[in-house]
Amino acid sequence: MSVKVKFYSLFKINLKSSGKEYQIDGEITVTDLISMLDDDYDGYFSHKLLDAGEIAPGSIILINGENVIHIDGLDSKIKDGDTITLFPPSAGG
Amino acid sequence: MKDYLKRQLGLFSEDERELISDLNVMIAGAGGLGTNQAIQLQRIGINKIYLYDYDQVEVSNLNRQLCYGREDIGRYKVEASLEFLQSFNLETEIIPKQEKITEKTEIPADIDIIFDALDNFETRFILEDLAAKNNLALIHAGVEGFFAQLMLILPESKTSLKDIFAGAQKGDVPDVFSPAVTITAAFQVIEAVKYLLDRKEALENEILHIDMINNEIDRIRL
Repeated sequence: MSVKVKFYSLFKINLKSSGKEYQIDGEITVTDLISMLDDDYDGYFSHKLLDAGEIAPGSIILINGENVIHIDGLDSKIKDGDTITLFPPSAGG
Repeated sequence: MKDYLKRQLGLFSEDERELISDLNVMIAGAGGLGTNQAIQLQRIGINKIYLYDYDQVEVSNLNRQLCYGREDIGRYKVEASLEFLQSFNLETEIIPKQEKITEKTEIPADIDIIFDALDNFETRFILEDLAAKNNLALIHAGVEGFFAQLMLILPESKTSLKDIFAGAQKGDVPDVFSPAVTITAAFQVIEAVKYLLDRKEALENEILHIDMINNEIDRIRL
């Protein structure tokens, strides 16, 4: 039972890592995942992805290509085999 | 065939060459991405570009907006772009549209695709709605620092920009670096051409993520 987390853009550069794989038991939530990532990356993700307990503007969390804002926010469920993509999208032009 | 296109002759079939030379596009924004797109689209010999922008040239534009110089500061971008592009005396028709993209924007009836050359997600979501209403494809890109992402949104696409980038807008003005902007705009032109020529390699239901620090390009499946 595992989930793949992929980092892009500044997340990848700052962490010098392209992602992480976690073994999970049953389902977890996005909040659980952020907490697991925080343990491994010294609180980096709650700093980058959260703002006053909500998803911070300017960061994207996709579960299998779907923005969690359109699922159930931080309570969205992650299950075995899911791929989670984390990146700060580029807005400029 | 236009006489200046000899060096791209071998890349396309006769039908494809004809298709490219008949293409009409809308570029939404004459900033960093838009000026680069216009320059490239003119060079590949398309038929017509409708170039939209309501703004005037500022000094902070000059680090990446290739149609303008110091003498253009204060001029309307579409007017300065028109003059710059026409100075090459190539055959692509440039139609300046000095207007802001809003829900009420009238999309030209004869275009084949819309290029996103905007600098914020709020207006991109409006542009996406306009594209869908007019049954047109939109080639999106955003660039910031050494990173960019592209997406091709088709009228029949299951995933929209709003689906992916809701909540993506930050309050600050992003850093933009001319070579990264040029690469991103060039990718948009290449991806648009691939789509319009019906090449099987065209983007489909995915984000193309470009990381110019690590020299990595990823296709993120959606």
